[in-house]
Amino acid sequence: MIHRGPMKHVSLFIPCLVDLFLPEIGEATARVLRRLGVEPLYHEAQTCCGQPAMNAGYRDQARNAAKHFIDVFGGDDIIVSPSGSCVCMVKHHYPLLLCDEPVWLRRAEEVSERIFELSQYIVDVLGIEDVGASFQGTVTYHESCHILRGLGVSDQPKRLIQKADGATFVPLPFAEMCCGFGGEFAENYHYISEEMVKEKVENYLESGADLLVLCEPGCLLNIGGYLSRNHPEKKALHIASFLAGTERGG
Amino acid sequence: MERGAREEILGRLRKAPRTTVEPRPEMPPLRELSLDREEMVAIFTEKLTAEEGAVYRVGNGGAAVARLTEIAAEEKLERVMVSADEVVAPLDLPRWGEERGITVFTPGDFSDRDSFRDAVFDDVQAGITGADYAVAESGTLAIAHDARQPRLVSLAPVMHIALVPVERMVAVYEQAVEKIYGDGGDIPSQVTFITGPSMTADIQGRPFKGMHGPRRLVVILIG
Amino acid sequence: MEIRTTIFNEVAEREIRNPYARLFLKAMPAVIAKRRTVVMGSFPDPVAAQACGQSIRAEVVARLPDLLEQFERNALERGAKILWARDAREACEMVLALAKERDVSYVTKGKSMVTEEMGLNDALADSGIEPFETDLGEFIAQQLRRPPFHIVGPAINVPVEEVRDLFMEKIGMEKPTTDPVELGYAARLFLRDKFHHAALGVTGVNMAVAETGTIINLENEGNIRFNKASPRTQISIMSIEKVVPTMADAMHLIRLLSRNCTGQAISAYVSMDSGPKGAGEIDGPEELFIIIVDNGRSRIYADPVAREALRCIRCGGCLNLCPVYTKIGGYPYGWAYSGPMGQVLTPLLLGLDRTQDLYRACTLCGACREVCPAGVDHPSIFLYYRSKDVEGDRGLRGKRRPWWESRLFGLWGRAAAHSALWNLGVRVARPLVNRYSRGGVISRMGGFFQGWFRSRNLPVMAEETFHERWRRLRDEISAGGPKGEA
Repeated sequence: MIHRGPMKHVSLFIPCLVDLFLPEIGEATARVLRRLGVEPLYHEAQTCCGQPAMNAGYRDQARNAAKHFIDVFGGDDIIVSPSGSCVCMVKHHYPLLLCDEPVWLRRAEEVSERIFELSQYIVDVLGIEDVGASFQGTVTYHESCHILRGLGVSDQPKRLIQKADGATFVPLPFAEMCCGFGGEFAENYHYISEEMVKEKVENYLESGADLLVLCEPGCLLNIGGYLSRNHPEKKALHIASFLAGTERGG
Repeated sequence: MERGAREEILGRLRKAPRTTVEPRPEMPPLRELSLDREEMVAIFTEKLTAEEGAVYRVGNGGAAVARLTEIAAEEKLERVMVSADEVVAPLDLPRWGEERGITVFTPGDFSDRDSFRDAVFDDVQAGITGADYAVAESGTLAIAHDARQPRLVSLAPVMHIALVPVERMVAVYEQAVEKIYGDGGDIPSQVTFITGPSMTADIQGRPFKGMHGPRRLVVILIG
Repeated sequence: MEIRTTIFNEVAEREIRNPYARLFLKAMPAVIAKRRTVVMGSFPDPVAAQACGQSIRAEVVARLPDLLEQFERNALERGAKILWARDAREACEMVLALAKERDVSYVTKGKSMVTEEMGLNDALADSGIEPFETDLGEFIAQQLRRPPFHIVGPAINVPVEEVRDLFMEKIGMEKPTTDPVELGYAARLFLRDKFHHAALGVTGVNMAVAETGTIINLENEGNIRFNKASPRTQISIMSIEKVVPTMADAMHLIRLLSRNCTGQAISAYVSMDSGPKGAGEIDGPEELFIIIVDNGRSRIYADPVAREALRCIRCGGCLNLCPVYTKIGGYPYGWAYSGPMGQVLTPLLLGLDRTQDLYRACTLCGACREVCPAGVDHPSIFLYYRSKDVEGDRGLRGKRRPWWESRLFGLWGRAAAHSALWNLGVRVARPLVNRYSRGGVISRMGGFFQGWFRSRNLPVMAEETFHERWRRLRDEISAGGPKGEA
């Protein structure tokens, strides 16, 4: 292994959707961090933050996932994840799930202090806005619900986009409006979900942007899946992929 | 049984676990509180005008009556109802009406509520009242109702004309409410805040004035 | 009011294809939301102003029994008569008894959601007493026998042709006009006559001030003021959570309610009643009855999570920003309360078992929570209801989940705690999923996820998941491989 002097280390939390369907986002995350002088670690024992069970009301199962997560990541100084909703799950719901078990609760609170969404980590913790990315064209940004309202992260991804060489940022009309994913919702209330993602894509087209960037894998599956079927010439990318310069059709 | 319901409901509420009350968070004072009288008048006028209320400023009671005369002529008013409150009473509007061929009713003219009601619903074109306060923050009138200030005078006729001495201008609702309710004495049976004519947009979102209450609101600020 | 919460999907699918409704839902809520942002700017610190409102409502919930007793004491001192009703039936019976004692043939009503909850109009009509809704939108909705489309505009979606036909048939309008203003004035004349001769007026209550025993109503039209001025008897009906501590609190909530409801600084009229009319007053009610209605709320109060639903001040701010409501409108929610506000309250009052879709047809986006001046945390409450279904909670009437779902999540829960199981599961699932792959993309999966695949594709499950490629990746980037250099 080549020594590059003292390195920061962060532990990667790769959401299940990324692991299974969009691993290139995980790769891009690792590569971008490495480029910024941060060595990514990955605990292979990790599985899932528990959000699907939590959202479906299965709190016991979500609690199991939470405890496993805390066991896996409990010793890390910093955890970074390319998903705002997963970070929200850890920060906001783990303490709720474990409120009756004081030892676990304390561990959950500790972990929740040390977990960051990717763009939040790069801009707020590393203090970097220019990561050496480049893109020739106009870029717009969809404000995913959990990262926006759950974490208060909105500025950071936009600054990263704006600092990409050659990229011009254009606003997305109704950027803060939910895209209609919502996990099970997209299937169980597909007729509503469809109208929501259709409108999101109409707004994307109206913006005139060459590319839509977002921070949430679920949103990417949703919007990207709709684009793939209905507007295959238009693309959506995760911020990690955008910054790493890797691209894969959405 | 009646009593039973009260005890049952309150009993269930009291049995439930108590939660602590957090103190109110800090909130900076409303901007309007730093306005002087003239600034308040300007804001009041701007806000009420935006709601399609008409606002006039006159120097004194005599000028107010003159303005009233103009309005009556413009609107071709022939029959009006006026309150007997302490702003309007000194103006002796019944005599003013007599001099101009305008029939001026006051609540005291009616021996019972039904005949008063008939008059104010069907027999007058405008209601003229004073107001207890004018609130600058939203161009709002605050009217406390009592025997001399019936509720229907500012509600049933198609036009409402309100006269308000500028000394009664306050910045925010709390100031009016403190003065009306704060004394610890008798509080009025009803207090009404009026901010513009009656309005609705319930049919296809098309807004218009004068749904049930007055279609026109005129405020004459005196002083 | 008929309860239609169990046919949510049927109604929503119909409404989402109604171009007329969609037109309104695209325009009106956005307009109100924009106005709201502007008018909240009148506060030097809008965030603090909202936090203050939330604090007031938190105090109300925390001190509910004390505040109700204080309100009652002060209202009685002002000469009001206070009646307590355990449920909708009792409350209706009280109104009917009062109406019959006074030989009332019809009643004029101001907009009141609790009376819709009670089904008061039907109870009155069944007893031969005709109720007239006097808010223009409620009047139209009542005549058409429909639930409210939007809390602010209950019939705002109804085409003018329909209103014209309705008015010609029901209120004797002669001119066949479709001009909204002329239609409005036709309704005005009809209802004005009702106000003129009304013996009994019924209103709701926006706020009941404990400090002074005062009830407060907000409106733009003036119909509530008429109900409080013209008839000899006034009945004002409030659900228990309408109480607020002080007049100062009430003023602050008036600002927040108006800004969130219609984007106004304040509604055209606010009327505040402390007891019946005074001696010597020539109008106003000789008797003021205030009915305090429980209808399941005191039971909810025992639940520390559910009780926070009682913070709601019915401003409707949540409706205007809800991405689901603004696609389907008010009808699918099936009862008096629609949008996120209804999603929180209706399950508590009717039971989770008959309101399943209300808290599941939601992406938990949180736009409602963000805007709420009362501090309701809608998404957390919906998650709570979902967990109560899984638990089969008797108190809230949770409905147990399908056996195969429980089995699935049981398995999932085990896999989530054991990565070997998790990775095994992936290896088993992958060929099953990817056999539908066409050119790197899945556009159908047999009978599964048909809803998703109607309009969306899915990427194939990665031949090499992140788990599976990590070691290679790690070596690559540690060795300073492509794109791994600092």
